[in-house]
Amino acid sequence: MNRELKIGINVKHFLELLYLLVQKDLKVRYKSSVLGYLWALANPFAFALVYYVAFKIIMRVQMPNYSVFLLTGMFPWVWFTNSLIQASASFKNNVSLVKKVNLVRAVLPLGSVIHEMVHFCFALPVLCCFIFFTGGILHLSWLWQLPLMVMLQLSMAYPLALILAVANVYVHDVEYIVGIGLSLLFFLTPIVYPVSMIPDTYRHIFEWNPLVALVGSWRSIFLEGNIDFKLINQCITMALIMSFLSIVIYRGGACKLGELL
Amino acid sequence: MSSAVQCDGVWKRYGRQPRGIKELLVGRHKADDSRYSREWALRDINFAVERGSAFGIVGHNGTGKSTLLSLLLGTIPPDRGNIRMHGRVASMLELGAGFHPELTGRENIFLYGSILGMSLTEIRNNLDKIIGFSELDGAIDNQIRTYSSGMIARLGFSTIAHTPVDILLIDEVLAVGDSHFQEKCGQYLQDFKARQGTLVIVSHDMEALAEMCDSGICLNMGHVLVQGSISNVLSEYEAVMTMSRREPKQICKE
Repeated sequence: MNRELKIGINVKHFLELLYLLVQKDLKVRYKSSVLGYLWALANPFAFALVYYVAFKIIMRVQMPNYSVFLLTGMFPWVWFTNSLIQASASFKNNVSLVKKVNLVRAVLPLGSVIHEMVHFCFALPVLCCFIFFTGGILHLSWLWQLPLMVMLQLSMAYPLALILAVANVYVHDVEYIVGIGLSLLFFLTPIVYPVSMIPDTYRHIFEWNPLVALVGSWRSIFLEGNIDFKLINQCITMALIMSFLSIVIYRGGACKLGELL
Repeated sequence: MSSAVQCDGVWKRYGRQPRGIKELLVGRHKADDSRYSREWALRDINFAVERGSAFGIVGHNGTGKSTLLSLLLGTIPPDRGNIRMHGRVASMLELGAGFHPELTGRENIFLYGSILGMSLTEIRNNLDKIIGFSELDGAIDNQIRTYSSGMIARLGFSTIAHTPVDILLIDEVLAVGDSHFQEKCGQYLQDFKARQGTLVIVSHDMEALAEMCDSGICLNMGHVLVQGSISNVLSEYEAVMTMSRREPKQICKE
């Protein structure tokens, strides 16, 4: 068999396996409930409603259109956090897939990230309705901007997820640290507050946080329909660095997973 | 004759097992000097298995049999030596690795088949045969958490049996389901051999090994005790077993 064909078959099989793993996660989550897949829409809707009530009605934040501002940051964040939390335990929770069968292990954390990505995609129409009913504008350019952003966030989240999943096999505490780290990162990222609220003395610290650029790019698309190329470039740089690191770490660490688990 | 499995001078050592952050910081760990701890899990293993034959691996618990299978499968790397597998490999180290209890039997066939390396088209083409072989008929669309363990094993075995592979690695799963299904599995494995398939079997079932295998290896504390034709290996192993029953320390010390 020639080499290209063989690689082609392997890539196809990798994608099929990924599809089945994500489908499994979705089925397990929704199938046995009464509302079924409707939950994928009902969940983000309830989520949006809760935040609207909490910040708009109870806390009465004085920023114009604050609820949309908040949600455009929250939904990408929720995708990011949930996928990292799930992915970091993905090898440890699938011991038999790591030890008893021979598959490309990188598919397991990718499955977690894609699973949460699907949920995020279900949240997008909810978000659009929310923007529409609170008097915002729905931009036609979203049709290409949003898929682009989804890909960008995927290429930032997956390398990190892979690194954490490998690290968690070597030191089991990683999955707990991830949880704590993410809740700290939530407040170090302008999600509930705008960038302009950060005091000037601390602003340089925030520039080190790649999520500032990510959340910023989502917002400029949702609120203005614009792509902010400066922020996007930061995201791409970060994605490239993380990818490089993850390849080095995965190559070095993955072969030992079978005996460490 | 070409060999399907080739194992040249393979050594395997298990490194330090991972610890929590506490042990890493405090740096204390218990010295492990039980009979299961040794420097090399496997030392200098050499063998080749011809296409269309079956190879049996025997030995005490903790002697390196499963380690050897994992090395052949490729889930752990050897420290020294080379392992060459010619053809597609499937493992029966655990029947139904990756089954999810909340999914139906049919859905699990797809998931497990893909995990074993089948393409979606291959699974679809073989679906009826897999279901037929498992004899689960009406239960196939029930969630497998409602299955008995025998039914789950049957589903797992049927899926593997219809995966197009050249080499099958089996770890103690010859006893699947009731006697009728066991017979079917035995027949399947014979047919698999006849089709030039290669089997590597770890088992404590001496009778089954004598019947199925052509050659074999007996391991003791990571060493090769004896290898060659299966009848030699089994008789030697039985001799060692009776000896160790009398003086367990002697064998295990080394």
